[in-house]
Amino acid sequence: MSARRRVAVALGACALLAACRSGDSLLQAGNDAPPASSTAPPPTAAPGETLAPTTTAPRATTTTTPLASLPPCPVDALDDVTQPVQITFWHAMSATNETALAQLTDEYNASQSKVRVRLENQGGYKQTLDKYVQSSQANRPHVVMLPEYTVQQMADSDSVIPIGACLEASGYDTSPLLERALRTYQTEGVQWSMPFNVSVPVLFFNASAFEEAGLDPADPPVSLEELRAAAQAIVDGPGNRVGIAFDSGVDSGGGWFIEQWFARAGVPYADNDNGRSAPATRVLYDGELGVELLSEVQSLILDGLAVTVGDNPGGQDALLKLADPQQPAVMTIATSAAIGTVKSVLDGGLIPGITSEQLGIGPMPGPGDVASAIVGGASLYIVADKGDAQAAAAWDFIQFLISAQSQSTWAAATGYIPISEDALELDPIRTTYATDPRFKVAYDQLLAGPSEATRLGPVIGPMLEVRTVTAGAVAAIFNGADVATALRDAAAQANALIAAYNARN
Amino acid sequence: MSDDRVTTFDTPTGWRAVGRYGLLVVVSVIVLFPVYTTVIAALKPGNKVLVNPLVPDAFTLDVFRDAWNEGSLGRYMLNSIVVAVIVTVAQVVTSVMSAYAFAILEFPGRDVLFLAFLATLLVPVEATLVVNRQTIDSLGWLNSYQGLTVPFLATAFGTFLIRQVFLTLPRDLRDAAAIDGVGHLGFLRHVAVPLVRPTIGAMASLAFLSTWNQYLWPNLITTENDMNTLQSGLRVLSQSSGVDRPNLVMAGVIIAFLPIVVVLLVFQRQLVRGLTSGGVKG
Repeated sequence: MSARRRVAVALGACALLAACRSGDSLLQAGNDAPPASSTAPPPTAAPGETLAPTTTAPRATTTTTPLASLPPCPVDALDDVTQPVQITFWHAMSATNETALAQLTDEYNASQSKVRVRLENQGGYKQTLDKYVQSSQANRPHVVMLPEYTVQQMADSDSVIPIGACLEASGYDTSPLLERALRTYQTEGVQWSMPFNVSVPVLFFNASAFEEAGLDPADPPVSLEELRAAAQAIVDGPGNRVGIAFDSGVDSGGGWFIEQWFARAGVPYADNDNGRSAPATRVLYDGELGVELLSEVQSLILDGLAVTVGDNPGGQDALLKLADPQQPAVMTIATSAAIGTVKSVLDGGLIPGITSEQLGIGPMPGPGDVASAIVGGASLYIVADKGDAQAAAAWDFIQFLISAQSQSTWAAATGYIPISEDALELDPIRTTYATDPRFKVAYDQLLAGPSEATRLGPVIGPMLEVRTVTAGAVAAIFNGADVATALRDAAAQANALIAAYNARN
Repeated sequence: MSDDRVTTFDTPTGWRAVGRYGLLVVVSVIVLFPVYTTVIAALKPGNKVLVNPLVPDAFTLDVFRDAWNEGSLGRYMLNSIVVAVIVTVAQVVTSVMSAYAFAILEFPGRDVLFLAFLATLLVPVEATLVVNRQTIDSLGWLNSYQGLTVPFLATAFGTFLIRQVFLTLPRDLRDAAAIDGVGHLGFLRHVAVPLVRPTIGAMASLAFLSTWNQYLWPNLITTENDMNTLQSGLRVLSQSSGVDRPNLVMAGVIIAFLPIVVVLLVFQRQLVRGLTSGGVKG
């Protein structure tokens, strides 16, 4: 009874975007030796224009941990198969994103006769990670989708064939792929997984309410000063509206967004170059920048310009706050992976009074005047010891998923960022980006970031646990706690978690 | 004797009656509210669900068909029924047999053994979850009916419940049967079980309900959608279709709880009688 009722209430209450947020999480894992990169703030692409990669450094699969010591990738093992090879793919997509993934998979299965992929939805990133960790190798799938905060953990698990081995064995040309996306999934020079669904946080706003408050929907706030001014205008404007809804969710405002802000400011979030030149031993978010940023957010809330929606389970509460009949927020920050689903919800007429045309998308506001972002979302791992033909089949499927055409289709349906630059030349994303610039905001934002270690976000073994601790502090700060104290206490707990993890691995 | 008190409880008069029924109404509203919102949401077309969410101003049954088809609820219901029936039957058999041993038989170490049995009630499910999952994994029973049922085939609670009613059986009954040459199995089958049938019925319906409502365990040990039970299948439905169609999920929830409503209605009397028979017999 109670379980059933809980399901019912949870569903009844929201039903909105469970999926979307599951779409993104954080950052990544480390690679060392960041490329000698252009450090000048990269240009923002004009609509329709593709930015050139911001660095000229060598790409992905390089050196430090020799690939030779890791499981090889038998890329040719499919050549001789006579029966179709069955492989299982654990994923965490939901709603519109799951539909799009199923369509791509069907297309792949129909396009050739050697591989049959079976999708198994594991119900979210965390559940996928839990099941993966708890299962014996025999019960693991052939391909698994895991978010960027698991890279260190997966690298330490000795259970996967690094994608770098497949790239090398098949001579795959990675030059069309976004370097920052690839680098996100490297540690010690090894490309562990292949980015597939890449997302960044963006600003969702109600464009009509923007206009009514005298703001220009074509020019949403980018810096925190502009954000405060816009929120003030909204509060002073018509209706009982509040400027922006923040949340303290682990995979959003309580963790991921903070990491985004540090990377945008070019300040390391963890020591040892964000954990990229050596395993991180402590977090640095209780320093000057952290206190400054969270004090600003806290004052927005205390001044009545912003509200907090709490821990934002499933990612939907912050977005639903835009549709709150009593006191709607006009802006919120959420993952770009939610754009497709939000549009489809609005087109379905589910939310009274807001149509999908009124949905505005802007870059995520943050420190400084250049909106850049680090990679979130998830990547694909090939599980080791499952047979050569199966590994080769997995690699073949992954190549299909990251092909320019697949990425074009995928990005247009979901709001994820195409990881192949060639995808931008192909429909449907070419048309989508040209006709609906909202979808391109995330792409431009991702490319605006340089690839130095501090700009790629932290790599920490127990990333999820650290984020949970951080989110607790953020929640307390939103509710009025002393910023410096809360961050210092959380950092101490996080450092203990990191020390325990490093001692185990 | 106690009848007098019960009677005065049952017939409050005047303001006391108003107060009592008023309280009952308030509590009922609180309890039924989630059920009400679920039903209303399930009966509305998708684009009306969030408009006046508490008012049944539009009506459709299509969504039940969609939920059944898109959510594979038929397959999940089959799994739930198979699992719940296996667990219920097994729990009744194992509980009756072990309860008989603890209540009627006499053997060295019986009471210590029984205490050990009871002690397992003190271990929270969560404490054994991970280990149980690893065991099932190493047996190769993930995504199988064995995995879904075997950990629940015996329960200390059932043993305890039935042992308590067996203890109330007069010793003379067993002695008389023994003189007539009836063995333990014969006594169990022809005398003991028929006498405690209400308690067994109560235990069986509790076992059925708790198995039907399991969520965590099926979720943990299924990685293939086809082996979901209804409760874990609803999660799949809510994530795949539920995001932009909340009414679909509500319809799924209703489909999932109809079978236990039936079970409850059928067994309600036994449930109440069986659970209270130990305390107020006479």
